[in-house]
Amino acid sequence: MIRRVPIGILSLALLAGLAWAVLSLPATPTGLTAESLVKLPESGVTNPVTAVLLNYRGYDTLLEVGVLLLAIVGVWSLRRGEWPAVDLRDRPLLMSLLRVLLPVLVLAAGYLLWIGAFAPGGAFQAGALLGGALVLVLLAGLARRVLQRDRLLRFGLALGVLVFAGVCAVTKLLTGGMLQYPAGSGGKWILLIESAALISIGLTLGLLYLGGRPALKQEDSSERSPHAHD
Amino acid sequence: MISSWSIALLILGPLAAAALAFTFPKQGRWMALASAMVTVGAVVALGREVLVGGVQTHHVGGWSAPLGIDLRADGLAVLMLGITALVSSAVTLYSPPYFLAEHDAEALHRGRYFWPLFLFLWTALNGLFLTADIFNLYVTLELLGFAAVALVALAGKREALTAAMRYLFVSLSASLFYLLGVALVYGQCATVDLPSLAAKAQPGPTLWVALALMTGGLLAKAALFPLHFWLPPAHANAPAPVSALLSALVVKGAFYILLRLWFEAFPALMTPAVAQVFGALGAGAILWGSVNALFQKRLKLLVAYSTVAQLGYLFLLFPLAAAREGGFLAWSGGLIFLGAHACAKTAMFLTAGNILHAAGHDRIKDLDGITHVLPISAFAFGLAGVSLVGLPPSGGFAGKWLLLSASLAQGQWWWVAVMLVGSLLAAAYIMRVLSHAFTNVSEPRRPHPIPPVMEWTALALAVLAVGLGLAASWPAELLHIGAPAALGGPGL
Repeated sequence: MIRRVPIGILSLALLAGLAWAVLSLPATPTGLTAESLVKLPESGVTNPVTAVLLNYRGYDTLLEVGVLLLAIVGVWSLRRGEWPAVDLRDRPLLMSLLRVLLPVLVLAAGYLLWIGAFAPGGAFQAGALLGGALVLVLLAGLARRVLQRDRLLRFGLALGVLVFAGVCAVTKLLTGGMLQYPAGSGGKWILLIESAALISIGLTLGLLYLGGRPALKQEDSSERSPHAHD
Repeated sequence: MISSWSIALLILGPLAAAALAFTFPKQGRWMALASAMVTVGAVVALGREVLVGGVQTHHVGGWSAPLGIDLRADGLAVLMLGITALVSSAVTLYSPPYFLAEHDAEALHRGRYFWPLFLFLWTALNGLFLTADIFNLYVTLELLGFAAVALVALAGKREALTAAMRYLFVSLSASLFYLLGVALVYGQCATVDLPSLAAKAQPGPTLWVALALMTGGLLAKAALFPLHFWLPPAHANAPAPVSALLSALVVKGAFYILLRLWFEAFPALMTPAVAQVFGALGAGAILWGSVNALFQKRLKLLVAYSTVAQLGYLFLLFPLAAAREGGFLAWSGGLIFLGAHACAKTAMFLTAGNILHAAGHDRIKDLDGITHVLPISAFAFGLAGVSLVGLPPSGGFAGKWLLLSASLAQGQWWWVAVMLVGSLLAAAYIMRVLSHAFTNVSEPRRPHPIPPVMEWTALALAVLAVGLGLAASWPAELLHIGAPAALGGPGL
């Protein structure tokens, strides 16, 4: 109890400070909204959120895609994950639901990716759907063999960062500025980056569900003879 | 404006290497080596561009601030990038034998994850030093924090996991405090571009609260006393090359952002009282960290508490550089001290790793005779100690000398007293290790052999820490370029 008193006082002080700060903000919000709308026609997309994420402040997003990859590298470094014990293959009703649901989820992810250029949507939203679909696949015990292909998974997870960094280098070559798309071609570059990011984001979110790196057959054998390689 | 490749390569090089090191897990060390070569080349090139042509700016996406993000290299950024490249290159050379020497298979497997995590850390640091955008700084902090936590956990032991968990909580909540501050600054000033904030910042409740939140978060990340509690367990239990990276570089990232915020973005809010508070916390860190270092039983914990103490000296820069007279003297002194500490602390942690590998423990009282077994490592530890204590001609001496001169010139004699007491305490804890290490033993021990590269990289960094004192005019010259106007000109 005694320890909670100072914590409570600190929290109240923080609340008071924040309230004071927020109430002192300018009455009419200032910001960069107007300027970002003026430049929207040059950005290659018509959805201002996508323009901010992948054009004006695309560099932030490059590093954020890096954070996602880093998250899965960190989780994989900690421990080996466990495959869900539940097997749905002998539950015909659930399987027939998945048969409908999975294609719809993939289709919806593709739609969200495409529509992101014009309306709310984009790689992160689409990736979340794809990640959800992957969790269902894992729960159902499907595609286990594909999910044990270590190299393939690693490549898919890193694809977003690799393509994004590649686009940075190519645009630097073409225009002299990282992520400075040649005039009029912004939309295509953004779609390229988002497609690669979609795969990586979907895989990352889905595989994080395992809580560790997928247990692999090859890994077990290579770990028994650690001095064979490297 | 078409900028050169050096800034782009400093970000893209380590980032691509990190992704590739994860994709091809057995090639990690080669990716790091490639990244080291690219990065060192790019830093040298960027340094020349800055020395010749002044501050370099890269408008990412072709939009200039405030709509886009600017990457900006001034003398300070180049100095930090150079220190990062040096320490990271040493770690790149040191780490392959370190992780291959692990005996159990699980540890060996974890060693492969070191490379992508390390390269992400490197990307984050380069990004942090280059960006001129306070929101982008948050993204680099996220990258930096997660990479650092995962690297601590890589040691795999129970204590390391506990320390990593605590580090994660501190680092995450500190990041959120920082972000909260950024949101308030944007609401008030309508920009997140660091150089243009100074003109728009009107001291008022919003900015005071914003800056307090950001500073609080960053002080926790920089482990400044009394927010240092997470540092000793995290730095002492991590694998040795990771401890070196954390102590030499990661905590300095947060310190660097504080310098940018208080001296460049919001100099109007840097009142004498604020400056004295920073100095007082620094003084507390020097005394508390040094006294604790003196009483540690394990070498790595001693070195970690020494980091707590040495970070204190960096914060003496605030009251000394904020003064009108001799501000630049203290500014360059503090930053030379930072470079010397980075090199010396890397050398010390790498040496501690060598001792752990050779002797199987790092208990200080059982280090007798280690000089016979690891003469090069013991010499490296001694040299690094010379710089930590601040004996001439080391970099630590040059940095302290400039800080002392500034405080005497400004009549702030109380910092002189703190620095002298701190140096005496540092001499005491370094001598405590050396007196055990140089004791002769009757029966020679049979240690595990250590690959020479692990000893020589430690020695190279220790030599650099001492040599920096002889070449201190060079970083000072670099620091003039783009130095904050708040320092009041080139100083004395």
